[in-house]
Amino acid sequence: MTGNPESYRLIYISRNALRGTAAELEAEVGHILVVSRRNNARDGITGALLFNESCFAQVLEGGSDVVQEVFERIQLDPRHCDTVVLAFGPAPREFGEWSMAYAGAMGADSAGYHHLAMPGGAEAASGHILDLLRGVLLRQGAA
Amino acid sequence: MDSMIGAVRPAAGAGRCQSCAGPLWQGDELTKLADRREFLARLSDALTVSAQSNHDGGERRVAVMMIDLDRFKAVNDGLGHPAGDALLRKVAARLRSALRETDMPARLGGDEFAVLLDKPVDECVVEAIATRLVDLISRPYMIDGSVANIGASIGIAFAAPGTGPDDLLGQADLALYKSKAEGRGRFAFFEPALQEAARARRALEFDLRAALALGQFELFYQPKIHLGENCLSGFEALIRWRHPLRGLVRPDDFIPMAEDLGLIIRIGEWVLRAACSEAVNWPEGLSVAVNVAPAQFYTGSLVPAVAAALAASGLPGPRLELEITETALLRNGPEVLRQLAALKALGVKIALDDFGTGYSSLTQLRSFPFDRVKIDRSFADDGVVVRAVAALGTSLGMCVTAEGVETAEQMRRLRQDGCTEAQGYHLSRPVPVPALPGIIRRHLEASNVEESNR
Repeated sequence: MTGNPESYRLIYISRNALRGTAAELEAEVGHILVVSRRNNARDGITGALLFNESCFAQVLEGGSDVVQEVFERIQLDPRHCDTVVLAFGPAPREFGEWSMAYAGAMGADSAGYHHLAMPGGAEAASGHILDLLRGVLLRQGAA
Repeated sequence: MDSMIGAVRPAAGAGRCQSCAGPLWQGDELTKLADRREFLARLSDALTVSAQSNHDGGERRVAVMMIDLDRFKAVNDGLGHPAGDALLRKVAARLRSALRETDMPARLGGDEFAVLLDKPVDECVVEAIATRLVDLISRPYMIDGSVANIGASIGIAFAAPGTGPDDLLGQADLALYKSKAEGRGRFAFFEPALQEAARARRALEFDLRAALALGQFELFYQPKIHLGENCLSGFEALIRWRHPLRGLVRPDDFIPMAEDLGLIIRIGEWVLRAACSEAVNWPEGLSVAVNVAPAQFYTGSLVPAVAAALAASGLPGPRLELEITETALLRNGPEVLRQLAALKALGVKIALDDFGTGYSSLTQLRSFPFDRVKIDRSFADDGVVVRAVAALGTSLGMCVTAEGVETAEQMRRLRQDGCTEAQGYHLSRPVPVPALPGIIRRHLEASNVEESNR
């Protein structure tokens, strides 16, 4: 799949609207993952998700139309709000093995919503998110 | 999803094709929601059933939401009509996702949607749905790889016993109007006061459209005093509307409406003609200041209107001063500046009005060689601001006028702080034309006395 010219990548961040203890948040995000993995496998979507107390960041990869449809479905979800699209364009798949890789809660070094949603910083922020996801997946692969 | 589409179809018997018994409604082709005709028919049915069940002692209240998309035109213009259509389809899907199966969403036309809530609803439920809709619709959309952002304004009305479909839609429309007036991206409930306000507005509009033809406008003139010479320098012309029943209407109460209705252009032309033909009767040293509305620039009608007023009255250009606000410069600045230059070529003076209340941008102050800057009345007691603006204006070669002078003490301080001219109630209220000769004579006599005392 890598290098497929038909593949598009969308990166967005949104504000976490979930409330609860860390364990409750993990459980709720677990639900999100189960459903999204099932749908994504069906739709040929790959990608990765990470979250912390304040925000979600997600990468979606796949055909242009399908990615946009999935994005629209995600928009209807009340568990987040204030979505900002950081990047959308043709790009080789990086998470080709993952119907939705879960990078877990972002570490202490990860940026909060305010930092990532800073005006003018979309390109830097999307690069930063990609790096975060790549790094986490590398560590998981090595373990 | 299929069941939901099923739910928006009319009950058996109503509006069915004679031969095939299928529904007559075509629906909205673009969004697959109900269209206006179907919505009205279903609303009418719901109100009838509601009236019967209320009669039987049951509780069933029908509510209607009117939804307008904010900034939809910008998407249409920016991304093209196919993108606009795709956006409308997505809005329709988001609408459906937030509604109960028994609610009926419809597209009434353009970017106008409506929802019929026909199961028992109270204000709390409707409020929750409306909150959700405003949030959902204003979330970003991805269309053909571009991000589009719009908002939603919603008006809500509950049917009272005996309310017809058109009345109910009208009430929801008034509530929609209110939510837009309060800043869009929100919802508002209908309340009877809105009806009264709308009626009063319609009546005012009717009268305002006739006012020019009936000669109901008058100019009042407020003296302006030169602080250095301590003499009369001229008058600012201020419009008044003398209505046979309402009495003297203040500009704040009708100018915004005149701007909305596009009447301001012709009213502005009348003001220019009337002020110039009055000022030409005054002693030569006295000038007249006229306020100009932004729309007069945007329509390109100002320069010809000024030239015509000067030609008709014979008033020399330098005795006319036009007062413009910063707002006028904000939209299409280069074109406005081009017109200001054309006005200068007629010899007319240009003043920047209400300085300090808007953006007070130094860029704007420097964008054009204004002859005068007028410090807004709200700063009459603010020595720091007055001194700063006076110094700034003076060093840019502009006269500096202080407005809203109400006491002798203020007048003394404004002179000290470097203002060159003052106007306000302390000097004189705006006066009607018959009072002008008296004021002019008194000032001439006073300066003659001063002259002979020297």
